Amino acid sequence: MGVVRTETVKTTRRLRTYISFGVVIVIPIIMTIALKANPPDQPQGGGGGGLFFLSARFSGLVLPAAALALMSSFLLIIIVAIFGGDAMASDASWGNLRFVLMRPIGRVKLLFAKLGVAAFVSWAAVFTVVLVGLVAGAIVFGWKGLDAPHFENGHFTVIHQSVADLLWHLVIATAYVSWMLTGLVAFTFLLSCVTDSPLAAMGTGVGLYITSQILDAIEPLGSLRYVLPTHYFDAWRDLIFQGHPTSDMARGALLMIGYVLLFTGVSVWWFRRKDILT
Amino acid sequence: MSTPIVEVRGLSKLFHGGVLAVDDLSFAVAQGEVCGLLGPNGAGKTTCLRVLLGLIHPTKGDAFLFGERVHPSSPLLGRVGALIESAAFVPHLTGMTNLKLWWESGGAKLRDADLDGALAIAGLGDAINRKVKTYSQGMRQRLGLARVLLGRPEVLVLDEPTNGLDPGEMREVRQLVRRVADEGATVLLSSHILAEVEQVCTHAVVMDKGRLVAASTVDDLVSSSGSVYLEVDDVAAAERVLRELTIVQRVQVEPPGLTVGMNGGKRSELVAALVRAGVGVETVMVRRRLEDAFLNLVEGDE
Repeated sequence: MGVVRTETVKTTRRLRTYISFGVVIVIPIIMTIALKANPPDQPQGGGGGGLFFLSARFSGLVLPAAALALMSSFLLIIIVAIFGGDAMASDASWGNLRFVLMRPIGRVKLLFAKLGVAAFVSWAAVFTVVLVGLVAGAIVFGWKGLDAPHFENGHFTVIHQSVADLLWHLVIATAYVSWMLTGLVAFTFLLSCVTDSPLAAMGTGVGLYITSQILDAIEPLGSLRYVLPTHYFDAWRDLIFQGHPTSDMARGALLMIGYVLLFTGVSVWWFRRKDILT
Repeated sequence: MSTPIVEVRGLSKLFHGGVLAVDDLSFAVAQGEVCGLLGPNGAGKTTCLRVLLGLIHPTKGDAFLFGERVHPSSPLLGRVGALIESAAFVPHLTGMTNLKLWWESGGAKLRDADLDGALAIAGLGDAINRKVKTYSQGMRQRLGLARVLLGRPEVLVLDEPTNGLDPGEMREVRQLVRRVADEGATVLLSSHILAEVEQVCTHAVVMDKGRLVAASTVDDLVSSSGSVYLEVDDVAAAERVLRELTIVQRVQVEPPGLTVGMNGGKRSELVAALVRAGVGVETVMVRRRLEDAFLNLVEGDE
């Protein structure tokens, strides 16, 4: 446990960690105030979260979902890439990695401690967005259920979700987004093992995410798009408006298992044979 | 013969790009020895030390500690205190937190560490509770030495340990190394400062271009140096004459004379050649310094 504690202290006492958590706390609050001051009357803008913004007027429990939709499209990507990209490369860039490995610590043990802490802090950032959104939304827009408009097979219906339903769906959405971001943590962590440069690892990780999004937008790519790490990223949004998890969420979660295993496996293989020269 | 505490056997390291940093290197350090690892920049000293600490995978050969083969994260590393190149820490944590976390990361209990002794060595006072990023190079190096000694190591591996220290601190470090050695620890010390090695070390291993050039006691190396200091009335003319002699390996001008490294021959032959060329010789003095021995060995290896 010593190595886990060490890595936790290193990560949680960094200025960039404080700033990252400051951002995920402040933005849902600003969003809540803005929605209260200027409530939208149609679903527009909001980084794909327009329908959430509209619905948040009727239930404060939708606001965390709106905050998640807004922030998971870019800001959480950056934050998670920072945590993953920093994990190994920061020690290397300080010259401290060689001293860490001069202790009788297994390289694989150290790697999993660092990856675990990076993933945990990333999940904590997602959880914070939802928690702050929930508190702010409940205070400003009320603690109540939602009648969500739903259009399917040419029929317009209203799906009612109780407070318990919404809370349960928020839990699932938080877990899903956290898991989908774990793929990015694992990828930036792999780069962090390879490059010795936190910035390069972070930048390349974000670059992969953007590239995957662009490729996903090219419909002629057909079924190839289904294996892109970002293809099912937003599948959780249907939870709130369809009232149940969709098959796309299951596919997304399963696909990400493959990516996490792949990136983690390559990280282990690389780091075990790596010469520590920094 | 007892098992060496530190040993490298047939060690080679070829880096990507074809750089052969260490080439079939073998040497051993016995219990209680203070062994200096000498060599010019790029000789492969740091690579050798990194292999010994499991940081670099050798291409060929092996490194041993306490008679057992070293591999990354070997439990043997718990008995070693090492400082490779300049000391580095987590900059946003205090010196004290760095020491404690580093120790605990190896799974050891803090109560087993010699924290008070280490803090006395660091001599940082209240600054121990400041973030390391506010430290000077010398303060970091001292904290690095404190970290090395936290576990009362049986073997010290030190790579340029006096880097960034002022003369007083350098002297303290040398005394510290001697004291730790007197208490029974085995020390392998790499340094560019030959006077430092001469003062501190009992043995020396000389490397050049990744290969072993010599391994012996410091006394034997110094006495075999074959260097002569000549004080003459015309240094430039003397240098020209001496460079043409086959028994001369190197000439180093040190006004008002020259230091001559010889590879065989007699000192009288030097004097005779100078006198024949009309150069007046005032003084002939045998030099017994590690620096001369080192230069003779390394330049003779070229």
